[in-house]
Amino acid sequence: MIDAIMDTPYIKSLPFLWEGLQLTVAITLIGLFLGMILGALAGLGKLSKIKFIRGFWTVYIEMIRGTPIMAQALFIYFGLAELQLNSFATGVIAIALNAGAYIGEIVRGAVYSIDSGQTEAGRSLGLTERQTMRYIVWPQAFKRMIPPLGNQFVISLKDTSVFSVIAVPDLIYQARQYYNATFEQFETLVMVCIFYLIITIPAALYLRRIERKMDV
Amino acid sequence: MITVKDLHKSFGDLEVLKGIDAQVEESEVVCVIGPSGSGKSTFLRCLNLLEDITSGTVTIDGDELTAAGTDINALRTKVGMVFQHFNLFPHKTVLENVTLGPIKVKGLSEKEAEETGRALLEKVGLSDKAHDYPDSLSGGQKQRVAIARALAMEPKVMLFDEPTSALDPELVGDVLQVMKDLAKEGMTMVVVTHEMGFAREVGDRVIFMDEGIIQEEGNPEDIFDNPQNPRTQSFLSKIL
Repeated sequence: MIDAIMDTPYIKSLPFLWEGLQLTVAITLIGLFLGMILGALAGLGKLSKIKFIRGFWTVYIEMIRGTPIMAQALFIYFGLAELQLNSFATGVIAIALNAGAYIGEIVRGAVYSIDSGQTEAGRSLGLTERQTMRYIVWPQAFKRMIPPLGNQFVISLKDTSVFSVIAVPDLIYQARQYYNATFEQFETLVMVCIFYLIITIPAALYLRRIERKMDV
Repeated sequence: MITVKDLHKSFGDLEVLKGIDAQVEESEVVCVIGPSGSGKSTFLRCLNLLEDITSGTVTIDGDELTAAGTDINALRTKVGMVFQHFNLFPHKTVLENVTLGPIKVKGLSEKEAEETGRALLEKVGLSDKAHDYPDSLSGGQKQRVAIARALAMEPKVMLFDEPTSALDPELVGDVLQVMKDLAKEGMTMVVVTHEMGFAREVGDRVIFMDEGIIQEEGNPEDIFDNPQNPRTQSFLSKIL
């Protein structure tokens, strides 16, 4: 009985898919980490009083949001081939650039959503602009960023699937290798979806819990 | 304590303040009344530069607000502000709301700040709420915390911007009582208000503003019982 189950493609594909999943998660996490730094800069840059800084980050955000991530990945990998980035690095950079743009909007939106009365109250106590940002606006804005950031995590995770076009051996790539050899497309792809869902569903549930707790 | 000379304020093409001259003495309570859109809140907000001044001068306790080299943050510590919508910091407890300014601006230790903070909360009747968050307070309680927060900076002047306008009627009394006590202690106060009873009882002087200028000012009895300016008469007849 056990042998029979172990012999199905659902199980036999697992070691290959597992390798791909690890890479998918690694690219997502490293890319998102860099993306958050980039996003914080972009968000604060868009809130800057200096026109040039605002303009720079606006161009970045609109360029990224206006083009598909597959085009961005292809561009970095082939268009900028002289950089000689390997496919993994390309994937990480593409996720970072992409998530950075969306996170920039998340940061800007969250800071912007804090009532101006909060800033006024801080300033009227004699706090400097920077102190007001740090002690009053930012902590409140940060809370509001958590749900959309979680959402961005799920989006970025799924975005990594396009990197199979630049031969990143991620979950999708591994699956294609496997079913090209075995012709067990259905079973393999069922497992691929399950793998994605194993990450995304708990993430969504966890976020919903945080949201309820925070009442945002 | 406060001297305002030919104060103008425009938002784009719209001139909201069209030349205000006013004087507030130490320990004086001045109530500013007038119809909405008259510029009274803008006037108040110019007194601590929450609005940029278009032209004219404001001098508080000897310091001119817009003069080059004036440290506006230092100046603001002398001027407490209470807002219509309280603007408490929702992510901080009541006590933290009150101690933030003293700790970050005045450099007090947490212990010192908490001591004075607790005393102030006691004064506004909210010592039992020190560790609650603003969300759990009623409007009247929030406004009293906001007053304590402003007082924690030991200001020389307190500005009140329609402090009871956002409150349910039964909660107004507690806030006004705190303000009365403050007036009795000799605090210099400028109060933009629709509470004519308060203006009459507590105000040393009443300023009636309309269309961006001071139309009439005087002691409360004269303004309320014997207004000279037709605009004042018309305004008071509508609300009294």
